[in-house]
Parts: sequence; C-alpha cells; structure tokens
Amino acid sequence: MRFTPELPFDGGRLKPLDAEDTPALFALYQQPELPGQKPLQDESQIGRMIDLSVQMAATQRGIMWAIESAGEIRGILSGFDWQASQLRIMLRADGLPSLSDEHRAAAIRAAIDFLAEKYHLRNFGYQWVAGQNENIPALLQGLGFERSAILRDAWRYADRDFADIHQYHFISAAEKPKPKKLGDDDNPGQNLDRDNKHGGTH
Amino acid sequence: MNWNFTTGAFECRLPVAGDDNQALLTLLGKQTQLNHIPRLAVENTDQVEDELRRMVMRFENREAAFWLVEGQFDQQIIARISIQKINWMMLSAQLQWELTDACTLQSLQTVLPDLMGFIFNELGLHRLELRLVEDSQYSDWPEQLGFRAEGVLPKQQEFEGKDVNLAVYSRLATD
Repeated sequence: MRFTPELPFDGGRLKPLDAEDTPALFALYQQPELPGQKPLQDESQIGRMIDLSVQMAATQRGIMWAIESAGEIRGILSGFDWQASQLRIMLRADGLPSLSDEHRAAAIRAAIDFLAEKYHLRNFGYQWVAGQNENIPALLQGLGFERSAILRDAWRYADRDFADIHQYHFISAAEKPKPKKLGDDDNPGQNLDRDNKHGGTH
Repeated sequence: MNWNFTTGAFECRLPVAGDDNQALLTLLGKQTQLNHIPRLAVENTDQVEDELRRMVMRFENREAAFWLVEGQFDQQIIARISIQKINWMMLSAQLQWELTDACTLQSLQTVLPDLMGFIFNELGLHRLELRLVEDSQYSDWPEQLGFRAEGVLPKQQEFEGKDVNLAVYSRLATD
C-alpha cells in the first residue's frame, strides 16, 4: 500500500522518496538550507531516510515527498509533528538554489490540498528559521499563511548559538469531518446478503 | 544531581508515589485548575496512580521533570510545576503549572527564579516556553514572571468542542 502518492503541480510533481533517487537526494543534502545543518556524509543515510518516510506516513506521524521540477529533484517537502486527532501538521520545504519560489509554492499547495482532502487536516503550520531563504515568508503569505509567533532562540545551530523561528499557520476553511460511530459505513445486513460481491459472506 | 531545593517558605521537590496521591488528586481533580492547559480533570485515585507512573517514566527518560511546591511550615502542596517536552538538541523545554487557590502570583514570583536558575544553570537549557490558553485566568502572569509574549498559535487542539488558541511566552537563559 502506498501512503505517499505522487502529486502533480504546475511545472513539476511531488513524488514519494524512492531508492532510485538516492544520488539526487544525497546531492540535495549537500546544500542544506537550515542554519547549522551539516551536509550529509554518508549516502547510506538516505536509505534510512527513505525507510523512515514510509513508516512515518503509514503511521500518520509525518510525510515526505521529493520536489521534482523539469525532471530533476530540487527539494524535499516534509510534514512533521502530524497530530491526526487535532487535524494539524507542520510543513517544511527545503530546496536547492535552483528550486524556484513558484515551484516551491506550488508544491506546498499540492501537499496541503492532498492532506486536507485525504486526512481532513485543517491546520498547516510552517516554521521559517531566521537565516533561511528570505523569500519564503512572502511566499507563505501568498499561500494564505499568517505569522502567528516569533519563537525566540528556538533553533539551535551551534553549541550556544540560536536563531529565531517564525511560525506561520494556514487554517483551511473546509468543514471539519463529522464524527461517526464504528460501523456507520457498513451494511448491517451484510451477513444475510447472499451477494458475496457486495459484502455478503455466502 | 539534587532535584529538590528550598526557596523562601517553600520546598520544591519531586513527587513521591504513595505519599502525594491525595495532594495530586486535589491539584488535578479540579477543572478550573486545568483549563489554562487545557486538560480534563482526573476523577479518582486510579487516575492519579497512572499520572504518577507517567511522571516517573517521563522523568527517567529525561523528557520531563515535575516538582511539587510545598509550604515548609504547613506542609500543604500548593502547586505542581513541570518542564515537559525537554529537547536536549535545541536546549528548550515547556513549562507548565497547576495551582491551587492558595498559590498566588507572589508565590510563583518566589519559587520560579530559583526553579529557572536550576533549569538554566544545572540542566543547561536555554529556552523555557510557556503555552497558555488564550485569555486564560493566568494571561497577565507570564510577563510579571519575566516571560516575554511571542504570539498566539491558532487552533492547536479541540477541547470541550471548541478550538483552542495557545498564547506562547518564553524566558531565555540570557534574558
């Protein structure tokens, strides 16, 4: 079962992490966007990351896609701190310098649309760390995010050096899912139904 | 490392299973003392036992620490103060409190400086964060305790059928 589908967007697509993309993903992590983040040393770490991305999505803890545009992987879009019962998640899109703002925004929008539709998530957070790509805050605002807080020194990038995190949120206007009881969608007479193609047992 | 200490007329100490069950039931059994977090009040001693077990496990995993604030003379427990979600990579933690009516702003102004000294100096943490339900009964306390307002995080959880916004405050080791 695939928990991370491929999602097209204008100019590219989000694709699940795959072993065949290991060299491209390793190259991506040679130019980390986050302050203090060190380039990956060992390509085998990518394999571990791919495994974790599948496990996280299967258990609704997190989700990761590669951002591909013009046929090349140029970024990673990740959802973490996924609180399924609170209908919220934190997103981040890290990319190479060649990832355009337009494609980064389209990738975020595609992920939001999918997560809202499939998992009914409504609250999408984004943490921009001071020192990251300066275009991201405006890009987020263009997507409907609003800055909610500036978390002072919340990002540690060296022994005693810290950066502020600017936390943004986008609240979907979609209605909350209506709670149902287990079995509401089942056919209560299924065991009496002779048609075993439609839930009957004999 | 000694986690217990005395400050003013209070002793801050780690809870003791068996001895503190009744005091914890008094603290965590009253909904008005928990609305600022928010969480539901416990209803019986079995739930208190569970809470004590969780506190021990989380303390042993170094992901949280809990202190009871006890009057030195009357031995009444007036508060539970904890640090939770300790992030040893980012050197941060979230402060949380549950207070009885006997615990005033002045009580916290007595206790918290020494407690924060312990957190910053002994534990080496850098950022202490406090999250309170927006417009809770304690909304004007953090700044009087040396915390700085950082913003309001929208719709962080649903409680009693309502979406809850959380106001965020912080105190840094360097403040």
